[in-house]
Amino acid sequence: MATDLFPDLYPVGSVKGASERLGAVPSMDCSGVKLEIKGIFGCLRGNMRQPKTGALSAAAPVSTTDGQLKFQDTRFLTTLVLGRSRKISPDVLPACSPGIFRQKPFRLTTNQCATLPSLAHTYRNYSARGSKHSRLGTALAHKMASASSTAVVQGWPNTKDDYDLKEVIGVGATAVVHAAFCIPRQEKCAIKRINLEKWNTSMDELLKEIQAMSSCNHENVVTYYTSFVVKEELWLVLRLLEGGSLLDIIKHKTRTTNCKHGVFDEPTIATVLREVLKGLEYFHSNGQIHRDIKAGNILLGEDGTVQIADFGVSAWLATGRDLSRQKVRHTFVGTPCWMAPEVMEQVREDHGYDFKADIWSLGITAIEMASGTAPYHKYPPMKVLMLTLQNDPPTLDTAADDKDQYKAYGKTFRKMIVDCLQKDPTKRPTATELLKHPFFKKAKDKKYLQQTLVAIGPSLETRVQKASKRQPGTSGRLHRTVTGEWVWSSEEEDSGGSSDGEREEALPVNTIDNGSSEDEVVESEEDYGMVKPAQSHVVIQAAEQNVPINLVLRLRRPDAHFSCEENSKNQKRELNDIRFEFAVGIDSAEGIAAELVGAGLVDGKDIVVIAANLQKLIDSAGQLRTVTFSLNSGYAANEVPDDKALIGFAQISITD
Amino acid sequence: MPLFGKSQKSPAEVVKALKEAVNALERGDKKVEKAQEDVSKNLVHIKNMLYGTAEAEPQADIVVAQLAQELYNSNLLLLLVQNLSRIDFEGKKDVAQVFNNILRRQIGTRSPTVEYICTKPEILFTLMSGYEHQDIALNCGTMLRECARYEALAKIMIYSDDFYNFFRYVEVSTFDIASDAFSTFKELLTRHKILSAEFLEVNYDKVFSHYQRLLNSENYVTRRQSLKLLGELLLDRHNFTVMTRYISNPDNLKLMMNMLKEKSRNIQFEAFHVFKVFVANPNKPKPILDILLRNQEKLIEFLTRFHTDRSEDEQFNDEKAYLIKQIKELKSVHEN
Repeated sequence: MATDLFPDLYPVGSVKGASERLGAVPSMDCSGVKLEIKGIFGCLRGNMRQPKTGALSAAAPVSTTDGQLKFQDTRFLTTLVLGRSRKISPDVLPACSPGIFRQKPFRLTTNQCATLPSLAHTYRNYSARGSKHSRLGTALAHKMASASSTAVVQGWPNTKDDYDLKEVIGVGATAVVHAAFCIPRQEKCAIKRINLEKWNTSMDELLKEIQAMSSCNHENVVTYYTSFVVKEELWLVLRLLEGGSLLDIIKHKTRTTNCKHGVFDEPTIATVLREVLKGLEYFHSNGQIHRDIKAGNILLGEDGTVQIADFGVSAWLATGRDLSRQKVRHTFVGTPCWMAPEVMEQVREDHGYDFKADIWSLGITAIEMASGTAPYHKYPPMKVLMLTLQNDPPTLDTAADDKDQYKAYGKTFRKMIVDCLQKDPTKRPTATELLKHPFFKKAKDKKYLQQTLVAIGPSLETRVQKASKRQPGTSGRLHRTVTGEWVWSSEEEDSGGSSDGEREEALPVNTIDNGSSEDEVVESEEDYGMVKPAQSHVVIQAAEQNVPINLVLRLRRPDAHFSCEENSKNQKRELNDIRFEFAVGIDSAEGIAAELVGAGLVDGKDIVVIAANLQKLIDSAGQLRTVTFSLNSGYAANEVPDDKALIGFAQISITD
Repeated sequence: MPLFGKSQKSPAEVVKALKEAVNALERGDKKVEKAQEDVSKNLVHIKNMLYGTAEAEPQADIVVAQLAQELYNSNLLLLLVQNLSRIDFEGKKDVAQVFNNILRRQIGTRSPTVEYICTKPEILFTLMSGYEHQDIALNCGTMLRECARYEALAKIMIYSDDFYNFFRYVEVSTFDIASDAFSTFKELLTRHKILSAEFLEVNYDKVFSHYQRLLNSENYVTRRQSLKLLGELLLDRHNFTVMTRYISNPDNLKLMMNMLKEKSRNIQFEAFHVFKVFVANPNKPKPILDILLRNQEKLIEFLTRFHTDRSEDEQFNDEKAYLIKQIKELKSVHEN
């Protein structure tokens, strides 16, 4: 931006670090803009940080200025990026965290109203009086926030000693959730303890999450009480939902009973989804998008209350809550299996997404509640993106083993799913419209959920045990950063469920290196056979001297057997160009091949042959420009091998 | 309200109705609930005129202009802000939305609402004091940050005595309020570069004596955030004079050296980015030079082992190497 700002004085280093770390409150001046101030000594000059690593992309030349591994597929306008340094991003509300609920300090949920009928009233009086008082005096804000010892009703205390921490009910990468008891109020709650030292993202992200929560006051949206700092931790006090998450219940039920023909009955699904929709309707009217609706983020109270949790990725639709100024968001977050296609497609600036992305996720959640999993739960994240973009919208039967497996579910339900899962977001109903769908006539009341969900769910104790077994970062989601990189951060969802729910499988965490990843978060690094590329900080630095070679791998997609039967049988597999970079001395042919397989772009059988041919090309030092070789994965039944048409063959070429 | 559908109230009518309702609410007579209901209803009405709804587009500019005019004439913005605590949860958010929308209104290059608020600075002061109240703090913050985007309004705020209350607000125990206040505080000090540079220069002593308290706060978040902001302020070229002054004070250097050794790595790292400015100053005053010389060996050793795991951060490593070199060569510089 600016150079020689200090023409003859200080070499002051760049502000880059500072602005990044500051993460900048809405003041756009400092976020994202890298100020470089070059002094006469030049030594403290800011370098644009460009980890120079190899890059790997599918289908179109991608300028990898940021050095991330990119997969780009032009046909679907999808850019996928795999960064080198893996880091588990803080998983704010571990989606599995069973039982987080919240409530405004001065708001009462219906069940509490029943027991404490006079509270609401008292509070109102209090707040009215309080404001008069403080306009006169200068009541220290300290006091105002922690003055709870005298009158229990006044609010939630901000001191650690007022809470009795009980069992751990959830563990995330940077946070632990406890059940707790608030002593002055004599009331249960959940406390999420976030280790701020491990929180590398800007503090503003946290603030956004909390503000999103605290600006909600709705029965179906998680209830936030207060938050305060304890040493290096942030404690969020939330309502405790003893029933746990819907995912906990699904997993428990599929483990303990035969769910082959469906997990929940239609009335249960309708009841839950109607509550979720009411929450979403409120959310959307507030100018917010949740962006991560799924069973893992739907919590249940003992009384059958349904609340939407996890604001970790929710976004204000409009900056400064101005509903008119900006109708779409350009960054994206979510969990791939539940993610709407237009969210995945975020490439062009003019193609944002809005509230409707949540409706898609709701449709996937509907399938999840019936079949026990999201339709593409078996596949790695990148593959899910491909399938979602490429195939017709999933249905209840997409992941079914038998044709009639889910015949118990009726037309109305299926129709509702179809309505939600329309690729064109404009065609999807709004939350308000969807609430009028005939399917929701089947909805019953809380009591019903108490019987069909809460009563059969795992006990709190069971969940506690599981929570403590759960490794930090065994959950994750794929995000796209503002700059367009795709980032996979860890999460709870192995969603495989079939083998066992608690596989300590961490998904590949590929993220832009923000320079401060802690060592300990790199632990969980195995994944879907994605071999960790030979990476070390030292090596990355060495890369500077190397200009990466741009290559393209051309082959037919290995995924014919994944896609819908009708689609694949008669159709030829299309040729795909997978573009990637190879930095000599940093990348290894095996590493790249393994990533291709891990990303679902190449059949596992071809890993060695691709690596070998890639190596051959690299070793030839420019003598060879192209290699063509036959694939072990062979060709489909309706195909004839052909090394020109690349049927049963693949080709790697140097492109520059 | 009419029984049938939504008959269109004129801006004058709806503003009048809202004002009466807010007055009733303020008086707190028996019909509080009715008043509260009326306030909410009319706020929604105004909000819909400005933003539109799913079914209806926002009102035409002319209607909005009339509405704004009515709001100015009736002094309703101030009244709403003063009674914010009494308005219900959704109503508070509606007030903020209406306020921000009206504030952004432009006629050509003019911002009439900004001009209006300049004549009614109580609005700003009332909003600032909103941080004293848990139940309205975040709503006020939303409006304040919108105000802070306008230089004229930012100027009124930073030059007021109330500005120094922010040093208190950013440290309140409720994290979301403290952080919100910090965002506003930061916005006020960084958004309008020239304005804030002037302000910091003129009020250097007062501001930095307050600021020192933030850096020494017991609250980890306050320390971390304020240190970060300090780094940003000092490295902003507009604040050159302020930086020169800051890095000439040996107490400031001592503080940063202590912070380099804090337990928290994040704080160490932030401190590094302030500390480097002291070392990189080619005209180090004698007291600064003395401290550095006295600690020369220790500093070299310390910095050599400082955050060595950040090897992927080239910039940091370049800077660190540069600092080590500078400190090593200190003596000769001194002798010359």
